[in-house]
Amino acid sequence: MKAPVNVTWEITERCNLQCRHCLSADLRARGSGELDYRQCLAVIDELAAMEVFQVNFGGGEPFLRHDFLNILRYAQGKGITTCVSTNGTLVTDSLVEELLAMEGLYLQVSLDGAHPETNDAIRGLGTFARIVAGIEKLSDHRFPDFSLNMVVTRVNFDEIAAFRQLALRYGVKTRLSRFRPSGGGCSMWEDYRLTKAQLTELSHFLGDHTEILTGDSFFALAPESRRALGLQMCGAAKMTMAIAPDGGVYPCAFLCDPAFLAGDATRESIASIFRDSPVFERLRELEVESCHACDRFSVCHGGCPAVAYFLTDSLGLPDPECLRAAAALEEVR
Amino acid sequence: MKDYVAPPWVRVRQEEFGLLFYDTRDTKLTFVRSGFSLAAPSFSGQERRLGVRCEGEGRERAVGRLLEKLEAKGLVVAVEPE
Repeated sequence: MKAPVNVTWEITERCNLQCRHCLSADLRARGSGELDYRQCLAVIDELAAMEVFQVNFGGGEPFLRHDFLNILRYAQGKGITTCVSTNGTLVTDSLVEELLAMEGLYLQVSLDGAHPETNDAIRGLGTFARIVAGIEKLSDHRFPDFSLNMVVTRVNFDEIAAFRQLALRYGVKTRLSRFRPSGGGCSMWEDYRLTKAQLTELSHFLGDHTEILTGDSFFALAPESRRALGLQMCGAAKMTMAIAPDGGVYPCAFLCDPAFLAGDATRESIASIFRDSPVFERLRELEVESCHACDRFSVCHGGCPAVAYFLTDSLGLPDPECLRAAAALEEVR
Repeated sequence: MKDYVAPPWVRVRQEEFGLLFYDTRDTKLTFVRSGFSLAAPSFSGQERRLGVRCEGEGRERAVGRLLEKLEAKGLVVAVEPE
């Protein structure tokens, strides 16, 4: 592949919430700053020249950037499909009207439970009401392409079905994301990670509801019925890559760790980083050999290397949340 | 042969193997081993028409069938030739 299919770009480290599992908490703690408007446009020029299909903007909260709408318009004008992951708390009527005028924009609103007490325990007191107010504005204005996203944790696991119902009530898609031990997720791992029984139940639920989006992140659990829904393999450094607020380039948003810093988008060609970086090469050549004999290998290819790395310090071990691999990992430990 | 354009929800680019289609509605990728028989439309420009380069009647028929399959998947739309 000559370029990534999509790029996750954490365009700001600033956020008005303090979610306990925040993927970007480490980036924020490093305080490396963010690219200015001119630098952002230069990055977009390069991604367009590489023919990257989609940029997924996240953060932090992207709408905290005063220049963000112009950045979005610029990317869309270059033929790039844009998706924004937002906490929804800054959505106003006038913002929705501006977003409605854009072409090629998808929104993903994060909400971590179907009930206020559950969500607020993760995303902060009072946030459920503020997020739902934003969702209602998008729904009232009939914004066509948005989904509700929940990071599935032990805290909100029992509300998955209710969360799906909530999304249906607003006429939008449900997206369930995998909780990973990256960023702030690392310190919350033991409290939030799913039990084996919950992982099994989730696998069945996803199999029964194939319309639910997952960002292809549960492939270690994916049932047969979802086989055709995605590539069912890690796309890091092959299909995707991530850009941090300060321009650091990483193989994936879940591997924004100094050990995987592949280059600096403000000083190097992004295309060269993608093509030639030893970090990317390492990810591309990665094979989880211990999984080769498994009859599900073609469904997951060993699962998520980021989860394996943060839990075992190795990229080459099976996804620790794979129910079949769990026993083998115990032996390794 | 008809002309084909990529609809607004589809992105296409040239790869070594042929064309790579990306359906933004469901983020599905479709790998089309078309070699150099099909050319992707301009990535950033307004022109959405696919280029067709094939020599020989047999090859033209094969490419025509391929385009019909892509049309059935909603990845291209037939339009009147220019």
